[in-house]
Amino acid sequence: MKTFWLLLAGLLAAPLPAAEPDAGETAYAAGDYVGAIERWQAQVRAEGATAGRLAALGNAEWKLGRKGRAMLCWERALLLDPRDRVATAGIRHAQSAGGVERPALTWAENYAAFLGADIWLLLATASFWVFVLGLLVPRLRRQAPAEWLEKAVVTGATLFLLSLPGIWGGHLYAGRAVVRQTEVSLRLTPTARGEPIAGVAEGDVVRTERPFNGYIRVTTAEGKSGWLQARELESLWGGGLPANLDAKPAP
Amino acid sequence: MTARFLRLLAGLLALTCARAEDHVSWEMTPPVAGPGQPFKLQVRIESDVILGPADRVGRELKPPKGMALRFSGQLFRANTTEATLNFSGVAPEEEGPHVIPAFNIRFPAKLIKVPEMTVNVSAATGFRREGQARAELLLPVRTYYVGERIPGAILLKGSEQEVVTGSFGLECEAEGFTFQQTGARNEELPNGQGLQTGIELTPLRTGTSEIVLNGIMLVNNGGFGGFAASGRDRPFTFRRKVTVEHVPEVGRPVEWTGAIGRFLAESVSVSNTKPEVGEPIRLRAILAGEGNLDRILPPELGSSETWDVVPGNDRRFRRAEDQRSFTYTLVPRLPGKHLTPAIRFAVFDPETRSFQRLEFAPQEVTVTGNAPAKVELVSIDPGAAAGTPAAQSLTGLATPDPAHRGLLDPGAKTVTPLAASRPFWTTNLTVLTLSLALFAAAAGSAYLLAHPEILRRARARREVRASRRAAAAAADDAAFATACVRGLRAGCAPWLDAEPAALTQGDIRRVLPAADAAALDRVFRRADGDKFGTPTDAALREEKAALLTLLTTLEARL
Repeated sequence: MKTFWLLLAGLLAAPLPAAEPDAGETAYAAGDYVGAIERWQAQVRAEGATAGRLAALGNAEWKLGRKGRAMLCWERALLLDPRDRVATAGIRHAQSAGGVERPALTWAENYAAFLGADIWLLLATASFWVFVLGLLVPRLRRQAPAEWLEKAVVTGATLFLLSLPGIWGGHLYAGRAVVRQTEVSLRLTPTARGEPIAGVAEGDVVRTERPFNGYIRVTTAEGKSGWLQARELESLWGGGLPANLDAKPAP
Repeated sequence: MTARFLRLLAGLLALTCARAEDHVSWEMTPPVAGPGQPFKLQVRIESDVILGPADRVGRELKPPKGMALRFSGQLFRANTTEATLNFSGVAPEEEGPHVIPAFNIRFPAKLIKVPEMTVNVSAATGFRREGQARAELLLPVRTYYVGERIPGAILLKGSEQEVVTGSFGLECEAEGFTFQQTGARNEELPNGQGLQTGIELTPLRTGTSEIVLNGIMLVNNGGFGGFAASGRDRPFTFRRKVTVEHVPEVGRPVEWTGAIGRFLAESVSVSNTKPEVGEPIRLRAILAGEGNLDRILPPELGSSETWDVVPGNDRRFRRAEDQRSFTYTLVPRLPGKHLTPAIRFAVFDPETRSFQRLEFAPQEVTVTGNAPAKVELVSIDPGAAAGTPAAQSLTGLATPDPAHRGLLDPGAKTVTPLAASRPFWTTNLTVLTLSLALFAAAAGSAYLLAHPEILRRARARREVRASRRAAAAAADDAAFATACVRGLRAGCAPWLDAEPAALTQGDIRRVLPAADAAALDRVFRRADGDKFGTPTDAALREEKAALLTLLTTLEARL
């Protein structure tokens, strides 16, 4: 028995073997950012987009000076994992050194970032069903509810109410987009002759509102509202890898 | 003591006298008049006493030879020390300065002297006494270049006979050009005899094309401000054939990034002249001048052993000031005295068809600190205070970890919110609907179990209805009586909480007190007696309708 405990202690104390760096990481470390991007993009296409892959792609894109693609990757990584260390560092770096502007998070968005939009929604759904079933089942069985069931109903209602700001914050966060074009002018009206009222740089994050006439009404980090062409923006939600804006659309 | 008091008194008196001086100023519109051009003269007086209305202003007014001048009105407010007097005149035909001699204006409180005033007359003002109002297009006549900003203007010139009061509907048809109006629309010409609107064209492609500008000006006939003046619209059109070329490739410098016009390196500055190694500073250069400022690509600055350069964050373009700024973030790699990289521009001048070079001079920066073995692009968060954990932990980009996954991070092809999932909502709604339906069914059955009379009445109602129909369709008296009695018994049973077959006509009367007792006796006797061969009762046939009505009433009560 003593031998068993000693073996167990030895196993627990032994350091875990470090994961082997993949081909993308090796290329990134060697300064081959194009190669790293190709490998990580292939991984995303084959196995799907994860927070780690998107954040790594954001780093490599930034190293190549493609601010719009980099910001989009980091922001999408934060949607999948609001605490992703690489994406958070990348966005802070872009804001401080790269001059990228990003709207400050509202209290609801900060609240939503605690768990992430999907987890808030799942939590709300689960707590809602606990609440509803906790109320319905005793009535269907024509029995007085048990004490544990009453506690479950109260807990479900509380969690449901607590998750509502998270869902709202996630909804607000989903309305963001990244400027993908350089030399973009924020226009006063949604027409080709609309008067430019401010400049917006590639990589800037804006809040989007309603679309009209091929334009989208946005609010910049400085609080200026105007119209940008829809093709100049890429939404955070609804995509994996950044869109290739140079490619012509399919007929 | 007395001498001091007297000096003080004298000083106060002098101050009072100084304040008592009246101030007279005048202004002429237009400032320089053409020969024979009408003008307006406004004289403003500020005094130390309440002035009130002026009296007989024109009496002492003696205009110079050839000039017509008359007093046209005054503006004053009660109990104020200010007054404004207006004069209308016509300039003499002879060019040069014409002096209106000084004259006095008599106010109720005092007499004020207006100093002599000079009216300058010049033929260069463009004043026209006669002739139609006309529109002129000011646009440089030369070859244009793709991407350049071509400033122009439309001058709407009037005359004394036809005054231009406005314009509208300005349109431009120019294939391969962008067009926009600049500045204020309908700005007054300097000579006051017309309006102008600034325009701006930008060619987008090479070739020969025609610029067509259409608009409508509003013309008033009958002189300045006449009440009887009649206005009308007068359209104008300009057509001009122009040639657009690319900026020549011959002699084009490498650093040319699309600048066309005449520019000046206005200023260059750094945000911090004494940074530490690794501390980012901003280099800001301001370009000013006339040209396509908004279309210039920021010049590239390459990193070197001394500096890491982050791509220019250029966004400031001030049309009103004809300025554009370019900002770069520089991170020093080594300590010592260094010069910032020079920002070099090449500009194409479309007038002289030649390239010019501009350079923002390098700035001297003293970098402190030690040279690290390896300097990251940005080593600290500039927003964090020195020495704090935040400043130490934020070291630019973090090392990528592609194997990392977030909680509930399935690795989907697209980053799509669960809230946008149709199956998620469909499933939840379906389950919720089923749950509510189940709950409603259970609640309903429980209610019916608690109130069994509802089901009994419903059953009785169905039986009464069936009996009434059978009775109405009965071919003989016996069948009628049997169906009728069955219906009466079934309909009355729920009220008496009894079995239908056990009810007699007496029980029926307890439920239906208004029923005809004799008729009930007859129908019960006929129905029950039929088993024993009771003969046909002729009276029963006559009461069929009443008995059917009784069944209908009973059915309605259920």
